[in-house]
Amino acid sequence: MHDSYAVNLDGVSKSFGAFKALNGITLRVQQGEIYGLLGPNGAGKTTLIRLICGLLEAHAGTVTVLGQRMPNVAVLRHIGYMTQQAALYPALSVEENVSFFAAINGVDGGVKEALELVQLYDRRSSVVATLSGGMRQRCSLACALVHRPELLLLDEPTVGIDPQLRVQFWEYFRRMAAEGTTLIVSSHVMDEADRCQRLGLIQYGRLLAEGSPADIRAQGGSQNLEEAFLALAGRRES
Amino acid sequence: MSGHRVRAITRRLLQGFRRDRRTLALLFVAPIIILGLLGYLMRGSSSVPEVGIANQDTGPAGAVVVDALKRSSHIKTSDIDASQGDARLKDGSLVAYIVFPPDFSQKVAAGTVSPDVHLEGSQPGEDSPVIQALQQAMTMVAAQVSGRNITFQPQIKYLYGGSNYDTLDYFGAAFVGLVVFFLVFVITIVSFLNERSQGTLERLMASPLRRGEIVLGYMLGFTVLALVQAAEVLVFALAILKIQNHGNVLLIFGMEALMAIAAVNLGIFLSMFARSEFQAVQFIPLVVVPQMLLSGIIFPVSSEPAALQYLSNVLPLTYAVNGMRDIMVKGADLSWSSLQLDAAVVAGFCILLIAAGTATLRRRVG
Repeated sequence: MHDSYAVNLDGVSKSFGAFKALNGITLRVQQGEIYGLLGPNGAGKTTLIRLICGLLEAHAGTVTVLGQRMPNVAVLRHIGYMTQQAALYPALSVEENVSFFAAINGVDGGVKEALELVQLYDRRSSVVATLSGGMRQRCSLACALVHRPELLLLDEPTVGIDPQLRVQFWEYFRRMAAEGTTLIVSSHVMDEADRCQRLGLIQYGRLLAEGSPADIRAQGGSQNLEEAFLALAGRRES
Repeated sequence: MSGHRVRAITRRLLQGFRRDRRTLALLFVAPIIILGLLGYLMRGSSSVPEVGIANQDTGPAGAVVVDALKRSSHIKTSDIDASQGDARLKDGSLVAYIVFPPDFSQKVAAGTVSPDVHLEGSQPGEDSPVIQALQQAMTMVAAQVSGRNITFQPQIKYLYGGSNYDTLDYFGAAFVGLVVFFLVFVITIVSFLNERSQGTLERLMASPLRRGEIVLGYMLGFTVLALVQAAEVLVFALAILKIQNHGNVLLIFGMEALMAIAAVNLGIFLSMFARSEFQAVQFIPLVVVPQMLLSGIIFPVSSEPAALQYLSNVLPLTYAVNGMRDIMVKGADLSWSSLQLDAAVVAGFCILLIAAGTATLRRRVG
């Protein structure tokens, strides 16, 4: 069975001890879509992403990625995952890091293209420990996409980087989506949400609202996305 | 200098320790364990070396000495045939055997006693009780033969090692392996912990890599490093320190490779139980010191209190150290059953630790 959704979560719940991190989440992401996961810190965004790439197993509900029930090792080669912190080997050079992640995903080439995409090709011999925070984030992104995954999971990819670089990142994301890559981007920055095609608002482990930025504005009754989000969050709480 | 600011630093330190229960435990429990272990080892020693006695003396003096030896608290004696002696030393059932030649009584009458003392010789600590017991027995004989001074000249023969061996020759064999084991363990536990703390392990787990592939890759990488180190240590020990070696250098190398593999996997396994490099480093005294004390490097396992012998016999290092001594001091090759056992046990530990490391890898990521 191969459904048309790149990611299909159906009634997914996940608890850590007594803490319910996710509570009956149902959401679907279409292929080639940029889907934004929005919510405050601790809302469950990272848990959701970990469930999608099979690092965690749901207690209830089903997670289907690229037509396969997760966790499933075979699907992982089609997934790219950029963790919240720039998870790199500090003692290796930029190119060595990217080559490593290419190799463990079973890919030989693509390192040069990935480095050019994030504009680090000229700095490819620099040791990661000597790079600035923004460069590390770019290198981390290159590591996540070097094997040309069908699904790219980006956990707060623009945290701690300057506005100029943020614009560049979204430029990459749009280019990849245009080539058919599905992207799920988590963020707690509202002005990034406008750049997504569809948004899911998460709070306290529940999906508050889902839709295009315009839908969310309409649902929240405000032209300002942040105000709309707060209105939706407040409505749910009362 | 502001007392206030200094106090802030002091207070912050103590506040941190209050929450780090494990560090507190290490600070206050570990010294007691280590000192207690040492005390128990040195004072609680229950077993005494087994000494075989072959009395061929045709006169009465031999029987007197043998009787004195049998009552000695330093050794445990049994009657053997002189022709079996070497075989019994080799299979480890005896530490030494003493032969009183047929003309022993005549020589006592003439004023010199020279029993043949055959020592196994590979464990330096085990020889002295034998000589001590014999000396005491001789003093007793001298007292019984009135009015004469008796010169005591035991003819000591070593099966292994011998008088041309010094302390370094005995300990060197064990330490050559030990150094590699511990350094590789420390490097592995810290770099695997880095893999966790820098977040790359999460990335690896979200890739098609299988857990076994990670463990195996680590094992190969560090084993290569360990072998280069082992080669360096070996060359230094043999060529510069001139530690005596009667075995095949390739066998030593093979044993070191097994120890390195065990150390890598022990490091991976234990890194699962540490949250920080600080905690990882704390495993060193807990893993290293008891193994140093109990693996027979300094105190022979056979001389340990019985309860500790059980513990020694489940430590991989005990077998590794024994194997290294077998090769370097005794010149063992792979046809020796003791070396086969040592190598098999260390290899078994490797497999066990690989399985344990692979199994625990899953747990902590989630």
